[in-house]
Amino acid sequence: MNRRSFIRKVIYILCIGLLLIPLSYYSQPASVGAANQAVGAGKLAQLREKYKISEASLGEVDPAGETIKLATLGLRGVAVVMLWEKAKTSQMKEDWDGLQATLDQLTKLEPHFLTFWRHQAWNVSYNISVEWDDYHDRYRWVKEGIKLLLQGRRYNDHEPLLIYDIGWTTAQKMGTADEKVQYRRLFREDDDPEFPNHRLRPQNRRDNWLVGQEYYNEAVRLVEDRDASIHRMNPLVFYSEPAMCQIDYAIALEEDGVFEEKAKVGWMEADEYWTKYGAREMRSTIGIQYRLNDKEELEEKIAETATELEAMAPDLRKTISDERLAKLPAEEREVLEAPPDRRDPWRAFGIMMKLNVNHRDFAERITGPQHDKAIELADEVTRMQQLAELINHEREVVNFAYWRLRCRAEKTDAALEARRLLYVGKGLYENAQFEEARENYENAFSEWRKVVDEFPAMVDDTIGGTSLEEAVKGYVDVLKQLDEPFPKNFPIKDVVAAMLRRSSLPIPPEFLQDAVGTELGNPPAPPIRGLDMKDGGNKEAGEKEAEAKGPDSKEPAGKEPSKDDDKQPEAKSEASKDQAEASKENPAEGQKPEADSAKKPEGDEKAE
Amino acid sequence: MVLENQYPPYLEWLFSAGVSPGAFWIWLITMTGVILGGLLIAWVFSSIRYGPMKAGDLIFRTLVGLVGDLTHTSPRRVFALARLAVQESIRRRVLAAFIVFIVILLFAGWFLNPGTTDPAELYLSFVLTATTYLILFMALVLSSFSLPSDIQNKTIYTIVTKPVRPTEVVLGRAVGFSAVGTGLLALMGLFSYFFVVRTLDHTHELTADDLAPRAAGPGGVARPGLEGDTGFTRNHRHHIVLDENGHGYTEPSQDHFHEVTATTRDGQTEYRIGPALNQLKARVPLYGKLSFLDRGGRTTDKGINVGNEWGYRSYIEGGSQAAAIWRFSGLSAAEFPEGINLDMTLRVFRTFKGDVEKGISGSITLRNPQNPKVSYLLRNFVCKEFSIDRQNIPLKFKDKDKEVDLFRDVVSDDGQLDVIIGCLERAQFFGMARPDLYLFKREGTPWVNFVKGYVAIWLQMVLITTFGVMWSTFLNGPIAMLATVGTMVGGYFVGFLESLATNQAFGGGPLEATYRIVTQSNLMSELEKNVTTITAIWADKLLRIPLWIMAKLLPDLSSLSDVDYVADGYNIPLDVLSIHATMSLGFLVPVLILGFLFFKMREVAR
Amino acid sequence: MASQAVLDPAASAAAQPQTDVIIETRNLSKVYRDFWGRQKVRALKALDLEVRRGEIFGLLGPNGSGKTTTIKLLLGLLFPTSGQALVFGKDASDVTKNERIGYLPEESYLYRFLNAEETLDFYGRLFDMPASVRRQRIADLIHLVKLDWAKRRQLKEYSKGMTRRIGLAQALINDPELIVLDEPTTGLDPIGCREMKDLIIDLREKGKTVLMCSHLLADVQDVCDRIAILHQGELKELGRVDSLLKIRDVTEIRASGLSDAAKEEIKAVIARHSGNLVSMDNPTSTLEELFLSIVQDSEARPGRRARVEG
Repeated sequence: MNRRSFIRKVIYILCIGLLLIPLSYYSQPASVGAANQAVGAGKLAQLREKYKISEASLGEVDPAGETIKLATLGLRGVAVVMLWEKAKTSQMKEDWDGLQATLDQLTKLEPHFLTFWRHQAWNVSYNISVEWDDYHDRYRWVKEGIKLLLQGRRYNDHEPLLIYDIGWTTAQKMGTADEKVQYRRLFREDDDPEFPNHRLRPQNRRDNWLVGQEYYNEAVRLVEDRDASIHRMNPLVFYSEPAMCQIDYAIALEEDGVFEEKAKVGWMEADEYWTKYGAREMRSTIGIQYRLNDKEELEEKIAETATELEAMAPDLRKTISDERLAKLPAEEREVLEAPPDRRDPWRAFGIMMKLNVNHRDFAERITGPQHDKAIELADEVTRMQQLAELINHEREVVNFAYWRLRCRAEKTDAALEARRLLYVGKGLYENAQFEEARENYENAFSEWRKVVDEFPAMVDDTIGGTSLEEAVKGYVDVLKQLDEPFPKNFPIKDVVAAMLRRSSLPIPPEFLQDAVGTELGNPPAPPIRGLDMKDGGNKEAGEKEAEAKGPDSKEPAGKEPSKDDDKQPEAKSEASKDQAEASKENPAEGQKPEADSAKKPEGDEKAE
Repeated sequence: MVLENQYPPYLEWLFSAGVSPGAFWIWLITMTGVILGGLLIAWVFSSIRYGPMKAGDLIFRTLVGLVGDLTHTSPRRVFALARLAVQESIRRRVLAAFIVFIVILLFAGWFLNPGTTDPAELYLSFVLTATTYLILFMALVLSSFSLPSDIQNKTIYTIVTKPVRPTEVVLGRAVGFSAVGTGLLALMGLFSYFFVVRTLDHTHELTADDLAPRAAGPGGVARPGLEGDTGFTRNHRHHIVLDENGHGYTEPSQDHFHEVTATTRDGQTEYRIGPALNQLKARVPLYGKLSFLDRGGRTTDKGINVGNEWGYRSYIEGGSQAAAIWRFSGLSAAEFPEGINLDMTLRVFRTFKGDVEKGISGSITLRNPQNPKVSYLLRNFVCKEFSIDRQNIPLKFKDKDKEVDLFRDVVSDDGQLDVIIGCLERAQFFGMARPDLYLFKREGTPWVNFVKGYVAIWLQMVLITTFGVMWSTFLNGPIAMLATVGTMVGGYFVGFLESLATNQAFGGGPLEATYRIVTQSNLMSELEKNVTTITAIWADKLLRIPLWIMAKLLPDLSSLSDVDYVADGYNIPLDVLSIHATMSLGFLVPVLILGFLFFKMREVAR
Repeated sequence: MASQAVLDPAASAAAQPQTDVIIETRNLSKVYRDFWGRQKVRALKALDLEVRRGEIFGLLGPNGSGKTTTIKLLLGLLFPTSGQALVFGKDASDVTKNERIGYLPEESYLYRFLNAEETLDFYGRLFDMPASVRRQRIADLIHLVKLDWAKRRQLKEYSKGMTRRIGLAQALINDPELIVLDEPTTGLDPIGCREMKDLIIDLREKGKTVLMCSHLLADVQDVCDRIAILHQGELKELGRVDSLLKIRDVTEIRASGLSDAAKEEIKAVIARHSGNLVSMDNPTSTLEELFLSIVQDSEARPGRRARVEG
């Protein structure tokens, strides 16, 4: 008996020893090879390096967190679930201190779980803040969310999205909320020591948009320099943020009544930023590389090449088309030849498509020595067309053309002057100096005329138009005070007509009928490419939603906290009356195409 | 503070609480049911083995024996056994629990952030919760392993062969371990109190540079003294206004204030800020009864639900006749010689943005319940959320030009007073629950309140100990512990069990829920009809019976906890404490009797 | 005292006044069942026993024969499956009988974190003894079991023999009328054994009744007045030790101081009766022999009361 148990023990020890050999091999510290690559034994160390999962390479190592993790005795998962549940209950029961304490504990237990930081920071900044009625308190909670992200960044120095979120909350939350005036003021005055560098910033840099931009830039640098991942986020949106911030900053300056050099520089920089953004080489989801700026150049080339191709056999296209028409069965020809009111349009369209001669078909028919060249040209045109289409599509995601146009228009002296005059006019009105106000307003509209003349697409500006709508309304208010009718020679009648068509002007149309009447009956002009905003004209709906802090601003019940589109419900309810800001929703959701497309019809519906 | 279930006064609770019968009668009915059910089950089971007649005889004799045991229980023997249990506990290193507690306190700073709006609440709830968990864990381990280990070591032989009654064995354990718990709890309480006081204590920097002459008052009247802000400590600073001598009190921040004194030496003035004052509180409130008027002015029980998941508060609409009316009784001029302080914690719900810079205003109106036609506007106020807004009702005040005497005109002869809150802005809402407005009677002694909080923990500890001992009379150690843990978990989720038993929980009963988890269908989605789901739903229907019984029989442990009172700085009313004590007793007695029975029927030598 | 040889218990019950019967079992049976209620072992089969005041009664049997089960049933540590166990005329499950009983378990199951005095004090309290009486008795008992020198030491530091002795002391704390000893001499050295046996006899001298069980035959043989031999849960033999061990058809003659002539004469007498003189006495077999023969017999013919050929 004893002998056998002794032998058994020896076997155990031998087995343990044997198992230790590969373990020791795998767990050796990695030896660093030539190209700073971990080589040789130390397999585990290599894998850790490869997947960036070692504590030290993720960010700051926190002894408190490690101790607490240890203290859960392997039940960390259970503890985490319980704490999440507790956090939810605290939130439901409006126990904010309890929520914060729970979040503190969670940060210790799962410091490297990206979703925790992003979700809870969003939750605190967006959901908790609106539970408070005093805007000081709201501001404090917005900041708490940012602080949570800042803390998360310390533990995860390889996650650009955390920095991106800091930028988002600083810029978008503070800059577009209902309380944006108050938030921006408090942000400027803030000397919270927990905000890194904030106290060191000069007063004129303490703008939430500029600080947000700093963070966005930092996130971009992290991706560029350290090859960090932005996970499933759309790069198009990710890289557009610094430029968007600059634009928003310029808009905000004007709203605050800052003009002259500063506003001009603001808009010029915005234009520069936007152009730089357009020049960035990006990769679409299917891997095609493109630059947003390239579209115009590309279209020129397409036209050139197509002409060259066409010139090889000038009448060939017509010939092929005729041949095909001749070959059509009688029944189909009948469809085509039927008078328009009795024609089945969809069938007709299908048949027409058959007659359409594409470049390849065209080139195939060219014979002789030019055949190969023709094929080559045809393929090139097709490829370029596809690329142009892709760029076009991507441009729409961030509304590229509109913002480019806007930057260019706004940086002109005329636009700046118009904005200034409007601002002054508004002040005069509030000061009951109606005559002076009227004069300012009218001068402003004349200046704006110049802008519209230079940039005709600005006539129907569905995004930036709101501020102009308010200006028109302000002007109308002035006129009412003076008891005067709307002038017949109003300089920007076309712009007002466009507003009326969008039915977004908060003035009874009758008042304007005489002045702009003729244009009222016209059918809406076809939307200009790049200007047909998806959310155009949902101002009223947006406003209503924005005001209600209630169930709407909460996370919908049953929703899992780990989704990437966390911002969606909140972005919706926080959507401000300013369409420019409303449009920003789309970039935000660019990471999730279905959410994006799902929103479109809603916007359209409201516009009608 | 949030009080989700408010108790009526003790006697009313015990014998009759309005429409529902008193707790005592419910207890009596439940006990009768349990006893009859238990007898029936016992009879059925022993009939199977011994036949019906013998079974009846056995049960009768056991019961008679039990009565004999109960009447012959000797305090001296109980004491001897309890003392043994204490000695055993000490030998089993229960003091380790205390050491763990000290370690937790030492490292608490790592995960407690003193910069929150109310650090006192955070620290108090932390120490009280930590103590509760530790002491309950200790009670659990001690009580459920002791008897089984005695039986396993056969030391029990030498005890039961003495003239010791089963009651004495069980009671001895329960008393002994409770005594150990009491001692530990006392130690922990002492340390906790000093921990909280010590950690909350802080002061601020204040130098002459921080101060400036006071700004002119309203109407440009110059005011003497200095004002400024203190240094930033623990995430807060105070605004201070000092008199000419440099003396004054800071404005409250994080729910406390400091005294400031100045000493001038060599022409240099040094300011000294004293320790944090009034950080721990034990407010004694007088709660009223809340009713509502709807927007048409009709009386209702509840206001409007604005769509919150948590239906605790209901809301009244501004700019309408909607109002919330609290009726207070038992007021006397002698008790409130300086007028009445009214504490409010209302909520605001805006349906439109309104003026962001301004809060929503409301009105406080007073009314004599005997003469409801006349009401007196006390004042209008701007609602402050999530902090206590204290409004004073002076003994004499003016409504328009009329001079009103509080106790002569407003408070009725039998000491009743109606306080009516209305919201003044159209389409904006105020939310409230009954405890959201109360009359502040006086400030209690914080440490006494702290002790009361510990008494509540003590009750839980005694209850768990008794349950542990009861289970250990017939289960072996680990199983008894599991059973006790089960009792605890069930006890903390009695409400949930009840919702399961009455089919009010979302997602169905246990089996249906399991099915949903496995098939990843959410709580609300319609289940497809197949054999599995139909079986699950039927099985759940059957399971509701045991669940219902469990929900009715388990102690509602979460309601026994009074941590919130202490943490939020409210005096634990004696009524509440007595109710909790009575509730605990209501469980202790039957659980002990069960323990006696189980132990009596057990063959200890097996 | 009462040292009458009565082989038939039923007859004795009739002959003796009821009060003198301390322990009585009637048809006492115990079946051990498993968790599901299935029968596992029949530990005791229909035992009828009587122990009378003032005697030392020994239960004898190999391991697993049911002697410990009998004791546990008598003490109420187990409940009989059928039959009755009466102690002092009361049911074994009656707690009050324990006032007059002292019990020394097989091993001394005591609280090892207490010292000798605390142990005795604790058990004294269980008898509801007033403090003064308790103190006196503790001192006496510690002296009796010769542990004065170690009375302040925790029991975990005690040797086996010392534990045994403190165990005996706790069994005597209430000055019991009936003392139940389960394997009293196990773990004791020869001197300890001797002392224990003297003590037991001493107790009888004081009028106590002793019920002991043991598998050590020598102990039983030395001290017991009467014994019952159990095997596989059945009573195999019961009676006075001396009469049980007497071999009736053998005469042993042992003598000294006889002259050779006298011896020759005796031998002649024996020879005349055609016998062989070994020695001149009634020899006793050893208990061991008796025991072994019972075991053999019972295994050969299970279920029957053993008949030992005399």
